[in-house]
Amino acid sequence: MTETVGRPWVRADARAKVTGQAKFPGDFGMADMVHAKILFADRPHARVVSIDTSEAAQVEGVVAIFTAQDVPVNEYGLQTADQPVLCGPGSGKPGADVVRFVGDQVALVVADTRAAAEQARGLMEITYEDLPVVSDPFEALKPGAPQIHPGREASELHPELSTEGNFICHHQIRKGDMEAGWAQADVVVEGQYHTPGQEHAYLQPEAGLAYIDDEGRVAVVVAGQWAWEDQRQIAHALDIPVEEIRVIYPAIGGAFGGREDMSVQIVLALAAYRLQRPVKITWTREESIRGHCKRHPMWFRCKWGATREGELVAAEVQVVADGGAYCYTTNKVLGNTTITCTGPYAFPNAKVDVDGVYTNNPPSGAMRGFGAPQGIFAAEMQMNKLAEALGMDPVALRMRNLLQDEMPTTTGTPLAGGVHLQEVTERCALAAGWERAEEGWRKPAAKGVALAGRPKEAMRTGMGMAVGFKNVGFSFGYQENCWLRIELRGEDDIERAIVTIGTADVGQGAHTVLQQMAAEALQVSMERVSLEASDTGTSPGSSGSASASRTTFMAGNAIREAAALALDGWREGERPAVVEHTYLAPETTPLDPDTGEGFPNFAYGYVAQVVEVVVDVETGELRVRRVVCADDVGKAINPEQVEGQIEGGVVQAMGWVTCENFIAQAGRVLTPHLSTYLIPTIADVPERMETIIVEKPDPRGPWGARGMGEMPFLPLAPALLAAVHDATGVWIDEFPLTPERVLRSLRDGGSLLECDWE
Amino acid sequence: MLPSFELLMPETLPEALEMLAGYAPDAMPLAGGTNLVPDLRGGKRRPGVLVNVHGLDALQYIGRQDRYVVMGAGVSLADVLESELIGAHGRVLQEAARVFANPLIRNRATVGGNLGNASPAADTVPPLLVLDAELKLASAGESRWVGLEDFFVDVCDTICRHVELITAVRWLVPPPRTFSRFRKLTLRKSTAISVVSVAVRVTLGESGRCVDAAVALGAVAPTPIRVHEAEEVLRGEALTPEVIDRATRFACTAASCIGDVRSSAAYRERVTDVLTRRLLAEAQEWSEEQWERS
Repeated sequence: MTETVGRPWVRADARAKVTGQAKFPGDFGMADMVHAKILFADRPHARVVSIDTSEAAQVEGVVAIFTAQDVPVNEYGLQTADQPVLCGPGSGKPGADVVRFVGDQVALVVADTRAAAEQARGLMEITYEDLPVVSDPFEALKPGAPQIHPGREASELHPELSTEGNFICHHQIRKGDMEAGWAQADVVVEGQYHTPGQEHAYLQPEAGLAYIDDEGRVAVVVAGQWAWEDQRQIAHALDIPVEEIRVIYPAIGGAFGGREDMSVQIVLALAAYRLQRPVKITWTREESIRGHCKRHPMWFRCKWGATREGELVAAEVQVVADGGAYCYTTNKVLGNTTITCTGPYAFPNAKVDVDGVYTNNPPSGAMRGFGAPQGIFAAEMQMNKLAEALGMDPVALRMRNLLQDEMPTTTGTPLAGGVHLQEVTERCALAAGWERAEEGWRKPAAKGVALAGRPKEAMRTGMGMAVGFKNVGFSFGYQENCWLRIELRGEDDIERAIVTIGTADVGQGAHTVLQQMAAEALQVSMERVSLEASDTGTSPGSSGSASASRTTFMAGNAIREAAALALDGWREGERPAVVEHTYLAPETTPLDPDTGEGFPNFAYGYVAQVVEVVVDVETGELRVRRVVCADDVGKAINPEQVEGQIEGGVVQAMGWVTCENFIAQAGRVLTPHLSTYLIPTIADVPERMETIIVEKPDPRGPWGARGMGEMPFLPLAPALLAAVHDATGVWIDEFPLTPERVLRSLRDGGSLLECDWE
Repeated sequence: MLPSFELLMPETLPEALEMLAGYAPDAMPLAGGTNLVPDLRGGKRRPGVLVNVHGLDALQYIGRQDRYVVMGAGVSLADVLESELIGAHGRVLQEAARVFANPLIRNRATVGGNLGNASPAADTVPPLLVLDAELKLASAGESRWVGLEDFFVDVCDTICRHVELITAVRWLVPPPRTFSRFRKLTLRKSTAISVVSVAVRVTLGESGRCVDAAVALGAVAPTPIRVHEAEEVLRGEALTPEVIDRATRFACTAASCIGDVRSSAAYRERVTDVLTRRLLAEAQEWSEEQWERS
């Protein structure tokens, strides 16, 4: 009747955001509110010996100063509670007196004005005893290295978490017979790779307002990704029942994974709870860059073998990831790296070892792709080098080895939900100019380019390709779920459908898509559907995190099931018809700790990209001329938003590979400004971006939809590096590709990665 | 956050100069604010008084006076970009304006502010250096013209006294058959501080030889610099590869590069070489075209 799904509805929040009317956490205020400032450690590893607040407390307007001793349960963390809320003595939590990275929080200063809070913060007297700093994960694993979290206990919930040394966690895969595999290999390619950290650089730095609501709860207005989980962690630290905490997400200025972990939530709630007054905080950009997690920097050592005909026979991959000072989601991120670092290929024999390591760097956590961009980078670099070594076209080599339905992955089980890697690869290659001749795939010839002010002989053009895949949703044995409530009002017809759900719209347009799916499922018009979202005060159940490309899939299925139940009630005469429902995703299993066998995920997305670059070989500058992206999204619920996600993912990945350069030296951040940490501007985006939306339905996805938010990020790095190789003949195995790194690599004939792997 | 300060809003230039004199040394002029406001927020500068000179009519002109191109210090980079006069007689400056920060900043930032801020990487400076520009420094009741090359003392330090304001910039209309160009290397395409910038001016004589030349570099020393040694090499010569090579080597020698988060010193030296060489090669191509035309 309505057919709202599959149409480019204008985003529900577009007008408010474009006109500046939308309220973000920093835009909220209350009459009698006070202002808070956080005193950050600003040193990478030290014991807080004493805290003297006397001088700070003298500042006119200071209302309160909170330190470790004021936090009832001084610990938090998504996977394991290894981070103090406030670092310092007196909280009773062992180890909470130690700061482990520059962004650790030491005190919260609350005053009538921001200026007074800032002035008082400057007068805080903290006595530190500096501890030895370890900022290199390879150094951190050596005997005698400074220990970041001594005396950890094993986790029943997360057996992959390690208690040994600075190891955060370990994953491994043992499949087939490696010796037999190498015996079959006519060609072996070995490579070492490094992928850097990345700052989320969302538009809106951390901010929030906490107050006591009219039911006496501590309400926290903040930007996050999983309100229910924020609520749980706040309640834990404050040692009060979960129901007494309320988390509200207004408009959220981007997240990309960086808001999965806590920033201002707990300290704000603590201050409002203790003072029984509204408390507001807004981080500066510098505080934001120092204060929240980054993408995991990783190091790879790979050895892949293939037969002369191009059949992959064996892969050995070793990965070390810098987890930084706290666990955050490192164990889960590395689960994804484990299954993606051998690429989307059918290897009969594989050996994979992945370690996460504690250091005194800023913590590494979730960021778009969640461990897959790093894994895919190493895998696709190997694949492109293999194609070169075999003298095969990179598309042809892939078509021969890509996973298909029913083919087991390195975990021993096939990918779920229909495998369409060949489709995306083929569509992408053809659109980019590849020819499928009788003798096989043929790459188009490179075209020269003339740029004003640059000598023609210094300009080299090249084209490269890569393929990626990633799981949808949290799984690896975790039972994925999504709660919602549907209420249908009216007499004869449904006049109003109210969907209550916890799911966050982090700027990706999720709420518009949910509204579309609800209208479709209930067969009512869009105007009749209203969404009450992102408030734990109205959503008692967990709808899960806005991450892992899961929202459309999980909330869509929840909407479909709940709508059917609500319509049953409606037909039986219920007025209003009300349904509360939790959708449970198909079951998965954890990876076997010894062999890596298992069925880790219930759904996947697939993507292929071709990148064209021009390199100035005298200065090392490069320009991305064209990106072709074919993305199997199952069903584009809102094609315009899908296109936006793809273009955004491509540009964010391009930033990671080209100009974004997060520099930390001995744990200190040297690029805490957006003038030193350079994200792409509109002038930097690829000259041409061609998006191909492939719609091969997932039989269990809502209307066939797969998750897609992260997938466009995945293959860009290896495709771009392959294009640089095509242009210059040199493989660069690390990035960002600052002009200086490109020039140095051209001089040296490649990267000179030196890691202490033993 | 922005610290507290007193903001004065003069309506005329004499009034502004009186205010600067009255509050010196605690007062600073505020023009576009694109450098000053971030500096205030970051605590880099702490003036008690800001004298707003943004939009003062007396600082808002671009025109020709006798043999000079003269402009008020308050003209924005966007104004420079749009000026036909500057396009005709100061193309090198217009090229710098075209790649200056981004359109929003260009609308606000002023030439006087960019000079007064005295960043080693200020993009208007190498072009104005090769144009032999002069600045007018005015204070209540008096004024003086100074050569731009004598203006800078060190990083963010100039000879401008607290009571003085840069009110105008001028340069002699270059002779016919003058080539002037600007290039910079940045780590992204807009809103980026130069890793290295280079400006070159070459004037050809009747014979097709170079009768006058100027080379200036940005971001390779505590202040932007002129490379007179390179200019000596060029003067009186045809722009042969050998001459270009010698001049370029002097440019590299003159640079005293340092390493920072943007680049190592070695890379800056390399880029100084490439950009200087390329601009001189472009000048050579241009000179051949001139020769053919005449």
